[in-house]
Formats: sequence, structure tokens, C-alpha cells
Amino acid sequence: MVTQAAISLASLDKSFPPARSGWRALLQPFEKATVAALANVSLEVREGESVALLGANGAGKSTLLRVVATLLLPSSGHAKVAGFDTLTQSRDVRRQLGYHAGTDHGLYPRLTARQNLLFFGQLNGLSRSTAQERITALAEQFALGDFLNRQVRTLSSGTVQRVSLARALLHRPRVLLLDEPTRSIDVIAAAEFRHFLKTQILRPGATSILFASHTLPEVESLADRIAVIDQGRLLAYDSFSALKQRTSASTLEEVFLQLTGRAGDPSSEVSVA
Amino acid sequence: MISILSQMWLFFWRDLSIARTYRTVFVVEAVEALFGAATFYYIGRFVDSPGLQQALPQGGTYFAYSLIGFVFLDYLNAALETFDHSLQEARDSGTLEHLLVTQTSLPVFVAGSALYPFVATTLRIAVYLLWSAALFGFPLRSANWLSVGVILLASLLAFSGLGILSSSYLLVFKRGNPAKWFVLGITSIVGGTLFPISTLPDWLQVIARLNPVTYALDATRAALLSGASLATLWRPIATLLLFAAILLPLSLSAFAWAVRRTKTTGTLTHS
Repeated sequence: MVTQAAISLASLDKSFPPARSGWRALLQPFEKATVAALANVSLEVREGESVALLGANGAGKSTLLRVVATLLLPSSGHAKVAGFDTLTQSRDVRRQLGYHAGTDHGLYPRLTARQNLLFFGQLNGLSRSTAQERITALAEQFALGDFLNRQVRTLSSGTVQRVSLARALLHRPRVLLLDEPTRSIDVIAAAEFRHFLKTQILRPGATSILFASHTLPEVESLADRIAVIDQGRLLAYDSFSALKQRTSASTLEEVFLQLTGRAGDPSSEVSVA
Repeated sequence: MISILSQMWLFFWRDLSIARTYRTVFVVEAVEALFGAATFYYIGRFVDSPGLQQALPQGGTYFAYSLIGFVFLDYLNAALETFDHSLQEARDSGTLEHLLVTQTSLPVFVAGSALYPFVATTLRIAVYLLWSAALFGFPLRSANWLSVGVILLASLLAFSGLGILSSSYLLVFKRGNPAKWFVLGITSIVGGTLFPISTLPDWLQVIARLNPVTYALDATRAALLSGASLATLWRPIATLLLFAAILLPLSLSAFAWAVRRTKTTGTLTHS
């Protein structure tokens, strides 16, 4: 029996109109898309697999995640989630997805954590009672019990991060999309977060994860396979050990620098640190 | 699968829950309504004269005339501004992206987010009218509430089309509300809100007669002050519904186009 890929990208291209300023910005929405953000990207994420998108700032990682999340339309090629096409079956695609961005939690600060979770859970098709049950269960897993009835604006950034991730998991999605998930939290909270993902999400094997990161320990710790992206192009897609073998490198940083042709360029180390 | 109606209710619940955290707002708005009603009453006392009263339809006072004009403008403002406001707020707060990856469509989000402001506007107007009736003798006894409700609903439907068109503009161009500027700008001069259109020059009266707000206001005044029935008011109601029948499908198509365009250009969630 052939198993369905959790995510499948085929010859995916995405281009944007050039950025304009002044009065020409008015015409920008109608200009031709000439700036390539993704070029001919093809990859598959298997059921239960965790895949990291590794690249410098502006490499196209977030664009790729946003195409999969149906927030952007591809210029050409196809993106499918659990067999559903993001262009023609976007609602079915969103039913399979949980989305969490480390940079922008997008919660209502004046609602409590519980109210936020109830609202988004029900928008994702859960009944109120099911949403309540799952909130209680997730609150236990995420150590959120004491914070559920507090307004989000009064919570620490680490706690808000956990609430946001709980929101992404509430409807038990098959695919979890994470955009720089630990970017705005401290080292301890980030380590806890990774531990949670490994033990609670990845180990049971029911959820696939596609995450963008330029935190190398995070990629090493969580990813079964790594997709190295540079200037919108997929340079390599394999396990960490296979990439090391291919590049004769000993660390992920060396792998990245060799694959992107930046070995010996000191400025590039900063962007992937 | 949950229905569109229950999703709309969720947006109402969200906005009500947020509004409840600003506990003083309800009190402040009730007091504001009192000051507003008092302002119109004293302006009315100042300008009421036999000559002006003859110019006023339904033979009412200027106080009643201007208060209804103001109340209607409040509704019009809500219809024109709410859709834009909810979209812009979601974009600025970062919630838009997270709403769009749920199973809710963007039209449901925009329409659902308009529910609470519409209900809040209705309540605010009710408080206005109650203050006016209790303290300043605003004549509420002869009102035909069924007619008032139908006219306000038809007006909301008609002008929501313009509000949704404005949201489409906002999605693509990021700032500005041309529908509000155009409709409120014209209405403040030739809508018959604060003075009768019979006081305008002939050519402006022609423009006033082309403005659906004029019909909606005339009908609201007739229903509130003279207790006009639905049968008497069928013409303005039909005009408003015709306006809605043209504008709503047009605005929804424009909105769908704007969403697609901004998902292509990558600016859907940009401020």
C-alpha cells in the first residue's frame, strides 16, 4: 500500500511584484511578478516526519510555509497537503493544518488564554465541549493550567508561545507548520519547547512537522530531514548524516556553508547562528 | 462541519468578550449619549421657528428631526467603517494570518466581525433615544417599531455593500476608506441629516433625490415620528433593497478578487 505524503511540493515557483516606493507603490498590486522567491522547489514530507527548512534570512523559508498554509498562491507548480491541492482545495488543506509562528503569536491580548483557545478551536470545527476537553488536556501537557484564565496580555512570552502552539494543536492536525518557532523565547523555554515537540508530537508519529529555522541546534535536534534553501532554490534535501557525508563536513553549520557556497565568508555565519 | 452562522456567532462572542474587558466604556458611552441628545435638544430650541417647522417633514420639531438624522448617520458610519476596521485590526494585531489558516473563509471573518459593532451601535442608539424620550420629550409613543427595524435592516444591507467594497480597496491599497469618504461626504450635505433638503438649491435637491440615504432617512423619520406602516413605506424600502441587490454581489466579487490578488502579490497580511 502506498502511503500518502503529508506534504508534497512539485516544481513550485513563487514570484512577487517588485517592491515600489512613492506614487509607484500604488501600481505595485497590478505589476507583474518578476522577483522570484521560490524556484522549482520539489520535496515530500512523509507521514510522521519532521522536516526543517534551513536557510539564511530571505532564502524563501517563510514563503514556502505560507504557500503550504494557503496564505499565498503559487505562481506555478503544485503544493499538496494530505493529497489536497492548496490552490483548488484550500479549505480541505486548512483542515489538516496547524500553524504556529514564533515571531507573531496573533492572539487576542484582552481575552484569556482559554477564550483564545476556545475561539480558534471552534473556528477549526471543534464543538465547544470537545474544545473544552482538549484545552484541559493540552493545558496539562503544556503546564498552562495556572494561566488559562488569565488575559494573554498578562502572560510571559514563553507562556504565550505555549498558548500559541496549543492553539495550533487543538484540532489535532496531521501537519504542523512552524515558522521560526523559538525565535522570541529564551534559551530555557526554547529547550523545553523542543523537548515537548519531540516527546509529545513527534514520538507518537501521528503528526508531520515542517518548520523553518536558522537555529542550528533546533534543526539538529528536531529534523529527520533537512531542506537547505538558498535564494529560493532547494540545494539539498536529506538527513543530517547524509548531508554530512555528502559535504564531508562535521557540523551542520559547515554543511550549510558548503552547500550555499559561503564557506570562508564570515558574514554568513551570523545569519545561520 | 460547523455552519457559517455559528462561525459568525463566534466572532460576535469574541468581540463581546473583548468589549467586556473595557468595563467603563459602556458607562462612558451612555453618558456620551446623554450629552449628544442634550446637544441636539438645545440646538433644536435655538433654531425652532414657525418658518423652519413648516419646512420640516411630518411637522415635527428640529430636535426630533436632527436627532434621527444623527442616529441614522451613526448606523451608516457603522456599515461603512466596520468591515475595514475589523480587517485592519486583525492585520495590525497579527491575528489575521492565524484566522486565515482556520477553516473560516475571509468573507465569514469580515461579516462575523461586523456583527458586534452593529449590535453595539443599535444599543447605543437605543440609549440615545431613551435619554431623549425620558428627559427631552422626544416623541417615541407613535413610533412603528416594525417599520423602523425593517428600514434600518434594509439600510444596513444596502450600505454594507459599500463597506465591503471599501474593504476590498483596503486589502489592495492598505489604507483609506473611499466609500466612507464619498457617502458620508455627500450625505452630510445632501442627505437631509441635519436640515431638510427643501432648503437646498434646486440642483442640489436633484442630487439629494439620487442619494439612497435621503430615502432611508425620510422613511426612518416617518416610521419613528408618524408611525408610518410598512405598506406606506414600501417605495423607500424597495429602493434600499434594490440598492443592496446590486451592491452586495458586486462588492463580494470585488472582495474575492482582492483576496486572490493579495495572495498572489504576498500582501494579504501586510499593513
